[in-house]
Amino acid sequence: MPLNRRTVLKQFLYMSAGMALLPACLQHHAKSSMLLKHIAIDGDQEKTLAELSETIIPATTTPGAKDVSAHLFVLTMVDDCFTKADRDRWQAGFAAFEKMSNDLNGKNYLSSTPQQREALLTKLETVKDEKDDAAWFYQATKRLTIRCYTSSKFYLTKVQVYELVPSRYKGCVPYKPAARKVA
Amino acid sequence: MGNTKETRTFDAIVIGSGISGGWAAKEFTEKGLKTLVLERGRDVQHLKDYPTTNKYPWEFEHRGDITADVKEANPVVSRCYAFREDAMHFFVKDTEHPYVQDKPFDWIRGYQVGGKSLLWARQTQRWSDFDFEGPARDGFAVDWPIRYKDIAPWYSHVEKFAGISGNKDGLPNLPDGEFLPPLELSCVENYFKDFVSKNYKDRNVIYARCAHLTEPQPIHLEQGRGQCQKRNLCQRGCPFGGYFSSNSSTLPWAQRTGNLTMRPHSVVHSIIYDEQKGKATGVRVVDTQSKEMIEYYANVIFVNAAAVNTNIILLNSTSHRFPNGLGNDSGVLGKYFAFHNYRGHISAEYDGFKDSTTDGRTPTSAYLPRFRNVVKQETDFLRGYAAGFSSGRGKNMHTEGFGKTLKENLFNPETTGWYVGSHMMGETIPKESNKLTLDASKKDEWGIPLLHLDIAYDDNDEKMLKDFFEQMTEMYTKAGFTNIKTGDSKQAPGLDIHEMGGVRMGNDPKTSMLNKWNQLHACKNVFVTDGACMTSTSTQNPSLTYMALTARAVDYAVTQLKKNEL
Ligand SMILES: Cc1cc2nc3c(=O)[nH]c(=O)nc-3n(C[C@H](O)[C@H](O)[C@H](O)COP(=O)(O)OP(=O)(O)OC[C@H]3O[C@@H](n4cnc5c(N)ncnc54)[C@H](O)[C@@H]3O)c2cc1C
Repeated sequence: MPLNRRTVLKQFLYMSAGMALLPACLQHHAKSSMLLKHIAIDGDQEKTLAELSETIIPATTTPGAKDVSAHLFVLTMVDDCFTKADRDRWQAGFAAFEKMSNDLNGKNYLSSTPQQREALLTKLETVKDEKDDAAWFYQATKRLTIRCYTSSKFYLTKVQVYELVPSRYKGCVPYKPAARKVA
Repeated sequence: MGNTKETRTFDAIVIGSGISGGWAAKEFTEKGLKTLVLERGRDVQHLKDYPTTNKYPWEFEHRGDITADVKEANPVVSRCYAFREDAMHFFVKDTEHPYVQDKPFDWIRGYQVGGKSLLWARQTQRWSDFDFEGPARDGFAVDWPIRYKDIAPWYSHVEKFAGISGNKDGLPNLPDGEFLPPLELSCVENYFKDFVSKNYKDRNVIYARCAHLTEPQPIHLEQGRGQCQKRNLCQRGCPFGGYFSSNSSTLPWAQRTGNLTMRPHSVVHSIIYDEQKGKATGVRVVDTQSKEMIEYYANVIFVNAAAVNTNIILLNSTSHRFPNGLGNDSGVLGKYFAFHNYRGHISAEYDGFKDSTTDGRTPTSAYLPRFRNVVKQETDFLRGYAAGFSSGRGKNMHTEGFGKTLKENLFNPETTGWYVGSHMMGETIPKESNKLTLDASKKDEWGIPLLHLDIAYDDNDEKMLKDFFEQMTEMYTKAGFTNIKTGDSKQAPGLDIHEMGGVRMGNDPKTSMLNKWNQLHACKNVFVTDGACMTSTSTQNPSLTYMALTARAVDYAVTQLKKNEL
């Protein structure tokens, strides 16, 4: 199954066409701070994602999702690592999520109060229907937010310490449950 | 360096700088021969060219993942478990060197100085006579022209230099070697080891021998290598030289003799055969940067391009004397190609040892040497399989909900019970129908005919897979493991990355390509000592055997050169 040059070329064209289209989609809004290859996101949507990630993992006495730029990681992963079908679904789900916010709270997520945001997420947490785009978007975004947070410099140096150079392996040591950490 | 015929003439030429080529280079240069190593890929210098080696997880843009575009454009290499963001620069992308899959074959390659030695999983088990005698006893392929006693001193030779960590287990089917101390097994691995030896008289679970410096010796320090620091990030290249790679070990050693010339960006197109002299005089190289064809000359040529590429080079080396490929009087070149069956895996949980865990990371695991059909035929399939065995406790994060509760849960992941897992490494039977051929008209970027791979599993492989599931499930069940799950990855041949054969060794020039010294029967100054030479595959990870065969063949070649016999 040799990769045929034409497929590759087509992909390349598709990518550059995507990029060319991007500015047009953004004419009415502030630009996203990131250069994205496949998906179109405006500045407000980026802010919405930041707030959503922060509702998922809020800053307390310790950093929250925004402090580790989880929303930018979400965008990078959706843009680079999702298949086209998943990218499309994530974008459609984003719109459905905003619609759900409007239906429930009478305003979009960004303009909602913390209580309204929590009410929306509480509702989304209970959705079992796998076909629900808003819930799919929410769960995908949440998964990426958690992944970013738990692999962030903060988490891996202060919470669960990652050792680049352990210099040891012990096959059988007593297991001591860790003391509960305050988040 | 000028560009006269004289400056392009060496004592020895080695094609490829991976595990086997690195060894050929070391042995030749140490014996005083001016040696040219031709490597199709770019240069990769130890330490200097390991761009990701000291990165923390958060320093990877995609936290290790491969992007969708890369996956889509490169489905084959994307199936390799080690093709991740931290090491993808050491793999060949599908698009960089296309080939034709008459049947699905995942050809995983590393084209650079060091080849796949940077990427390998470093498992190193010796063969025994139960392996070498397989074809003769069971009536397949041809008899190996060597036995354990022929290679044993060479296993020792390469083990001492490479540094192999292991336990003296005293098993006849997996001979002991020159070992550095083993690392520990986990409580559950030790439990399973004891359980198996008590309950099965011919089965053993041992510490898997691996090419790691657990306690470096002077010979390793002299190479500039240090102790393995249990990072388990080996595929990035090791800043401590803790595991064996050509880049950290054999190549810098060869360089220090002053006898090595390394030429990266050099695709060997074919070997030049001189009809008058009746031997090979050199090779034709395509410079990947200038696309120019250049000839290099030497008295002896070692082909170490990794099994598949070695077959291509010989098939493409045609002459009046050898119209079907160099040394191919028998017609077996490119045929009887084989691999390891890695399709089966099994996982389970163990409810014991709740008060124990592991600390740090281990670069290896436990290992079950082949126990099927070892001494005599006892199943409805030929040969058998080895298996890995590993264990550990995981971290389980509760991710339901959001806000402070979720955050609290993320800060306090729950330590799970013990999980255990094994994967199968099955011997496949070389068959004439599993073959490599060159396309009659289509060529690659370097003017070399495109490769066709026509390789498939057979009934023996299916039966063996079934037996692996049955036997492992039985052992796991009896050992008290629960939630046992078996899986057939259905992966294509090749993804085992233990491709072998096509230029097999044998006693008879009518049915084999190479003699007992890895020398082409019909063209005595050309040697093949990578996986292509393998008459059968047995179940061991093969690279240690390539290393030993290479050192042994160089020793022989140099003796013959001195006697003017090549
Ligand atoms: C992820 C992974 C895990 C593995 N785990 C293990 C393991 O645990 N144990 C084990 O024994 N083996 C393992 N292997 C396999 C092991 O890497 C190979 O068996 C070994 O590297 C083969 O050595 P070689 O010298 O034949 O080939 P390579 O190491 O691949 O080197 C061949 C070299 O030849 C060069 N070359 C190819 N064609 C040409 C040409 N025409 N002209 C010039 N140069 C050319 C290539 O660029 C390459 O540098 C693993 C491999 C991978 C990728």
